Formats: sequence, structure tokens, C-alpha cells
Amino acid sequence: MTAPSGPAPAGAPAVRCRSLGVSFGAVRALHDVSLELAPGRIHALVGQNGAGKTTLAKVLGGLQVPDAGEVRIAGKEIPPGDVRAAKAAGLAMVHQHFSLPPSFTVAEALELTAARPGGHALYRRGDLHQRWQADVAEIGGKAALATRIRDLPVEARQSLEIVRALATEASVLLLDEPTALLTPTATDALFERLRRLRDSGVTVLVVLHKLREVAAVADTVSVLRDGELVLGPAEMSEVSQGRLSDAIVGPAGRSDEEVGVRTAGHEEETLLELAGVSSDESAFEPGLSGVDLRVDAGEIVGIAGVEGNGQRSLVSAIAGLSPLTEGSVRIDGDEMTTAAPARRRLRGLRLVPFDRNTEGVSQSAPLWLNQSALRLIARDGLEILYPPRRGRVHSVRPAAPPRREPSRMARRLEDWWDRRRSPLISLRQYKWQATQAMDRWRVRYDTVTQPAESLSGGNIQRLILSRELDSGLEVLVAAQPTRGLDFAATEFVRRSLQGLRDAGAGVLLISSDLDELFELSDRLLVMYGGRIVGHFAGPYDRRAVGDAMTGAVR
Amino acid sequence: MTGGLRRVASTVVLVLVSFLITALILRVSGYSVGEVFSGVIQGAITATGASTSSIRWAIPLLLIALSVVIGFRAGFFNIGGQGQFYMGACSALAISLGWREGPAGLVILCGTLAAMLAGTLWSLFPGWLRVRFGTDEVLTTLMMSFIGALVLQYLTAGPMRNPQGTGQTAASERIPETFRLTGGSGVSATVLLLVAGVTVLVWLVLERTRFGLTMTLVGRNATMARWQGINVRRVGLGAFALSGALAGLAGAVELYGPAARLVTGFSPEVGFTAVVVALVGLLNVWGTVIAAIFFGGLQSAILFLPIVTDLPPPALVLLHGMVAFLVTIKFRAVRRRRAAQLAAPGTGTGGGGGEGAAPTAGPTPAPGTGAGSG
Repeated sequence: MTAPSGPAPAGAPAVRCRSLGVSFGAVRALHDVSLELAPGRIHALVGQNGAGKTTLAKVLGGLQVPDAGEVRIAGKEIPPGDVRAAKAAGLAMVHQHFSLPPSFTVAEALELTAARPGGHALYRRGDLHQRWQADVAEIGGKAALATRIRDLPVEARQSLEIVRALATEASVLLLDEPTALLTPTATDALFERLRRLRDSGVTVLVVLHKLREVAAVADTVSVLRDGELVLGPAEMSEVSQGRLSDAIVGPAGRSDEEVGVRTAGHEEETLLELAGVSSDESAFEPGLSGVDLRVDAGEIVGIAGVEGNGQRSLVSAIAGLSPLTEGSVRIDGDEMTTAAPARRRLRGLRLVPFDRNTEGVSQSAPLWLNQSALRLIARDGLEILYPPRRGRVHSVRPAAPPRREPSRMARRLEDWWDRRRSPLISLRQYKWQATQAMDRWRVRYDTVTQPAESLSGGNIQRLILSRELDSGLEVLVAAQPTRGLDFAATEFVRRSLQGLRDAGAGVLLISSDLDELFELSDRLLVMYGGRIVGHFAGPYDRRAVGDAMTGAVR
Repeated sequence: MTGGLRRVASTVVLVLVSFLITALILRVSGYSVGEVFSGVIQGAITATGASTSSIRWAIPLLLIALSVVIGFRAGFFNIGGQGQFYMGACSALAISLGWREGPAGLVILCGTLAAMLAGTLWSLFPGWLRVRFGTDEVLTTLMMSFIGALVLQYLTAGPMRNPQGTGQTAASERIPETFRLTGGSGVSATVLLLVAGVTVLVWLVLERTRFGLTMTLVGRNATMARWQGINVRRVGLGAFALSGALAGLAGAVELYGPAARLVTGFSPEVGFTAVVVALVGLLNVWGTVIAAIFFGGLQSAILFLPIVTDLPPPALVLLHGMVAFLVTIKFRAVRRRRAAQLAAPGTGTGGGGGEGAAPTAGPTPAPGTGAGSG
């Protein structure tokens, strides 16, 4: 494939940028980044959350005007922030978040967003399908052209984003974290497609999170850390895994993430029990049918499965967010089938929701309010309404000293206020408790009043953990807790879950990352079509689990 | 903090721009701008009784605007304050006329409670429709407002009509003088204390109670609130009820204060101006107090102006409209910008951004995807 603007000068790099700098207020997103990418290869760009990967991708695509520096694509200089010029030079971008309109059919969405020459303002459905049939077939996408985008599974949507990007004969394809939402199988398929593109002469720059994925697909790798290019582009064959992770995390990155365990003690007790649970299907998913599930004290039970096979319905049933048609739910021995969500939470159920940005936090609300949400439903304070029944309150807290002490006078005042059982609450106290919890979980923030949307993904997840795990709990349902997180944050979340298990709580872990499930789960269940179709115990057989996930065995 | 300061500054600028545009229109229409604005100053502040009149008009505006603020906190746009205000006034009137011989204090108390109850019912119905069926509350509260206005018209022209009336306008009988909290000026220490107390109470409920914080959380992201175990419907109904009660209270204060009787279609814009007041007050209790005083002054000036210029009163209503227009644009623009930012956050997380109840991926097209080589 060649760029519409004509072939690049011989030997010129496909992408070249020089001393790029971007700042958002006081935050330096990119600093003096110079990068040359050879044509016809797959280049990986890695780094932690907030390292500047997405910003760099946006600058290359003309979506972000840099403060300094220049960008050349196929030898042509791109005026800062000129999307059209970048496109004309042959660059196509696949965004981190899907951008196809959900209510459109596949053909309509492609016609609208791909801007391929030769379209008409008025179209007939048949013509449209003819125009796009070849593209969709070529990438092996099975999606019928008349299907609406919102009805497609994530991996099909991902494929379409790529189809769209390539529709205008791009010579450089830029993908921003394309694997964040994909299952392992879909990731492999995506990588295969990227290799084919490379072999046909396209230069690929892909932003990735996981080192395993980098090793699987990349020819060269570049590492960003705190907005600076600290490595690369280096040939993959010449970089060791160790050197790569050191480059990503930095010299002082790892040591301070110890998760301390406060109480220990292993009891053989069932903390969460679902018996014959069925529920109605939702817009996105099949309902549950006859799900039996048990989580005991001191174990992590993993739920594997391709997304959209009832995982959401399962969490809704446990949390009490949607009614059951059949079956019963018990939390810590108490009948909770019809109990309101609040009662379940006060009984010791905690949740890490699927989508932290919409379900986990309120983006525009201040940090302290997000952190205090659990306190709002406990009328008499958590410790009182949630008694350590049978002497058991599990809690896992990282042992970090708080960074600010209030004066003794202030403490005493607030204790007094607390004891008065006034209907009025002390915001200072809420904020102080939130500060303490967030410091323990090492949320990085400036003030407790800043909105949650100002935090990076990893920090938002820490904020959620600081809310869900910092008070006593019995059982945690963690849905995709590490999705889209960088290496360090992922490790932190995983170790927190293990710490919780060791403290004697029960954990139900729902994940589409099989490695994660294999590493953490004491038992593994596989969901397919709203049923539990497989029970596994370690050591796990990747093939057998994979077969169960596709419904091949029962 | 600087963000808050910027919001205040931009609102002040908007109001000033509205003044400028209005001045321009008056100028083009051949009026003397200087004369009109000196008239506004006189009518709002300096003329005899002008400041009192400003406060008199600020009181209902403030109470109804606070009701709008409460709705907004929980994410609802209760713009039916007018109807809730009317229903409150009618209920208080019914109690006061039906129990003329009662002890004044008790009648006023009962009348006020009845007014709050009526306002509550008038907003709870659209509120219930909203949380139960998802009916757009902007439409239903507005429609209920029209119904309220017609109920007032019916009552003043029918069952409660003053038999000794002239027949020119439908009006009720006057309530006994002993029931009144103020003279004709509409301002007295009692009423001021009452309103101040209510304002502080609203602030406490919103900012210093668990219910207020819960409301804030629900208003900002109901999905997250649901996951947190908050009963979103109950909180929503609570907000609607509280909101309606305040607007109803405004009706009682109006009756026991300056009005003493109800005339069909009295204070026809107060409920709608109050929405503007709440928006100009940045949906914050103290900001709303300032905005209410400002708009109260304007209202007073509107009534005063015909005395000093030949300007027809509706000409200044133009200013209201202009402020409402600009403030709404700003309000929507900020929301849009926020939504756009959420659709493409800077750092890596899965899933769609964007707040609100819809858990689907946002339909916001990424910038630049539509531009092509076609």
C-alpha cells in the first residue's frame, strides 16, 4: 500500500518526530521526545499509566497540538494539530475508546466514519453493503453488514475500527491500547492481523500495556516514562525482559508497594452462596440460568469466560442490582435473596465494578465524596452497624503512615461530634478519613477536593480499593479489577486480592485475563451463556479452560 | 478554588453582557439608555421603598430557586416551581379562609404546612413518573405548572371568588389582617428570619447531612450510586418532595406576606425567573441568595420604571430573558465540554467514559474521524 500523497522518499522513516513537548498545566505529559520509526515494521510503545503514550499517539495523529517539536510522516512535515494533513500523509488511527456510533449498522458506520471517496449523500442499503463487503470479509470479520454496532461483541468492534482506519489506504497504522478490552483469543487474532498488515508494507505503531503482548507482536519497542523516551526504539531481539520492565517502572518504582495483612485466620465457612439462581436477560447479556456458586472464607474463586456470557448478570444478582427469577443468595449465612443492595454491603459484601469510570466512581464528584460513599449508607457509622459478628472482621490495609496528622484539639472535637449522633455530619472528619484511607492505598492526588476524573486509571482503581477494602468486609466481588491497568498497578491489585484472601475473606474474581485467573484462583469456574459450564482446580489446563469458554464442553 | 473563582467571574461577565445587549436594543429602539439605567438603580435601590420592594421580590425568588437547587443536586430539573408555588398559596388560602376565627399562630402554621404539602404533592407526581418510568421531568413539571395556574384561575374565579369583587379580575377574598406576617410592603422581621432560617436549613441539608451528600452522588452519577447500594429512586423522590415543599412554602409566604389575597395569574414569571436565579447562583445556596437579591432588584425596577420613563415594563423582562439565554448556553456548553473530555480521557482505562445512567459506550465521535480525503 502507498500513501495517497505518493511514495515516501527512499530510506525515510515512516514516522519521525523531533523534540516533542506537551504540557497540561503543571503536568509535563511529554518532554523532548524524538523518535524515528522504520517503515514496514511493528513498533510497540509501552509505559505506565500517565507516561504519555496516549498523548504521543494523539500528537502523531494531529489530535493534540504540541508545545514544541515537529512531526513528519512519510517524510512530510505535518503542521501541528492538523488531523487532515496527518491523514493525507497516510496515517490512520485506532482509538483507545471505540468511536463508531452504536445505533448505526456496520455498513452505515463505515460509510459515515471512513470517508472513502466515491460515496454519495443518498445511498441505498444494497449499494452500501456492496461498497463495504470486501473490507469486512478481508479482515475475517464475520459481522453481518446490517448488524448494529451496539450488538457486536467487543472484538468485532475492534476489527471494525481497524477496517475503518485502513479504508483510506493508510501506510502508517497507529493503535492506542487496542488490547485493553480484548480476550486472549481476540488479542492473538488482532496480532495476527497486524503481522499480515506489516507484511503488506504497512508501518504499525501499537501502544501496549503487557510485556507478554509486546514480546508476542513487536519488532521494536520504545518505552516512555514520565513523558520522556527512556528506551528505544530498540530491536526486540536485543532487549531483555528485565531491562524492559526496569525501563518502564524506573529505578525506584517497586519497593514501596508492600501490602500488610492485619488479621489472619483461616476458617472453613461459606461467605457467599448462590443456589439455583436464574435471572432475566439484559440488553447486553444472557440472564443466569441455574447458577450454583460458593465462595468460602480464605479462597479466591475465579470466573473465566468470554465477556458477555452472563458475568454482569452474575454480579448484579450478587449485589442485588436486579431481581432474580429463581434461586437464593446468602451472604455470610444470612438470607439476602431480596435484600436491598445497601443491606448486602453492610453485611460485608464489597464490589469492584466492571467499569471503574462509570460504575466505580463519580467522575465529577470530589475524591473524598467518592471515597466516603460506603459511609453514606451506614446510618450509625460502619463499625456500629456492621458488627464483627463471631469476632471476625477481615480487613487488609497497606501499612503506610498517614502523611498529615490533625491537631489533637481537632481530633477531640471530632470525636465529640461523632458521639453526639447529630444528624449533621462533619465534612472535616469525612475528608480526614478519606485522606487516611487514600494514603494507605497510595492514591496519588493533590487535594481531597479534586474531582475523580483528574486521576489516572490506576489511581482510580486504588481509590476504589481504598473504599471497598479499607473497612471490614466478608466477601469481595472483583470484576475485571486489572483491566487497562499498567504493570505496577496490576501487581498492586493482585497482591491486594491475595492479601484479602490470606486475611480470611472470600474473593470472587471475574476476569478475562486467563493468566491472572490461573495465578490467583484457588478454584476456577467457567461461564458460558449464563451458566457455569466448568469447574477447575489448579494446576490449570489452558486448553481445557479455553474449550469450556467457547462452550465446546459441558 | 481558582476553578470556582473562574465560574463566578464568568457568570458576572454573562450578566454584564446581558446588560450591554439589552442597552443596545433599547438604544436602537430610541430610548435613552442612561435614563433607563438610572431608573433601574432608583427602582431597585435608591427610590423611597425601593430596597424594601427589592427584598420583597427576592423572597419568593429565593425560596423557589432553592427548590430548583435541591432538584439539581439530585440530578433533576424541576422547572415547575410556578405551579407548586400556586398550589402552596391556594392551600394556605383555603385553610385561612376556612378557619377565619382560629388563633392566628396556629392557622398560619397549618396554612404553611398545607402549602408545603401541596407543593410536595405537585412535584412528587412528576418525580414519581421520573423515577418509575423515566419520564422527562422537565416536561412533566412544566405541564404540572400550567395545571397549577389553571387550578388557581378556577379557584379565584369560582369557589373562592370574592363575591364583593368588581368582576374585572378574578380574585379571592382577603385573609384576616391578623393572619398576616407583613404589611403591604411584604417585608418584616418575621419573614426575613423565616427565610434566613430556611436558607440555612437548606444549606445544612445539602452540605452537612448524609442525605445531602447522597443526593450529590446520585445527581452526579446515578449508576455509581446504585453500585454503592444507594436507593436511587428513594433519594430522587426525596429530592422532588423537598424541592416541591420549598416552592409551596414560597406560596404561603406570599399569601401571608404581601398578597393577603390571591389574584388569578399573580406573579406569573416568578417560578421561571427562579430557575434563572438558581443557574446564575451557580446552583449553590449562597450564590443563589445573591442572585435572588439581584433579580429581586430587577423585578422591583421593572415595576418602578414606567414612573420615570415611557418604557413599557416588558422591555426590562428582556434582560431576564437575555440572562436566562446566556446562562443556559454557558451551562450546556460546560456540560458538553465535560462530556467530550470524558469520552477521551488522557490515560489508559478500559470501557467508555461519560457519566449518566447509560452504560453503553458513548456515541461521541472521536475528533477528526469524520475528516477525510474525500
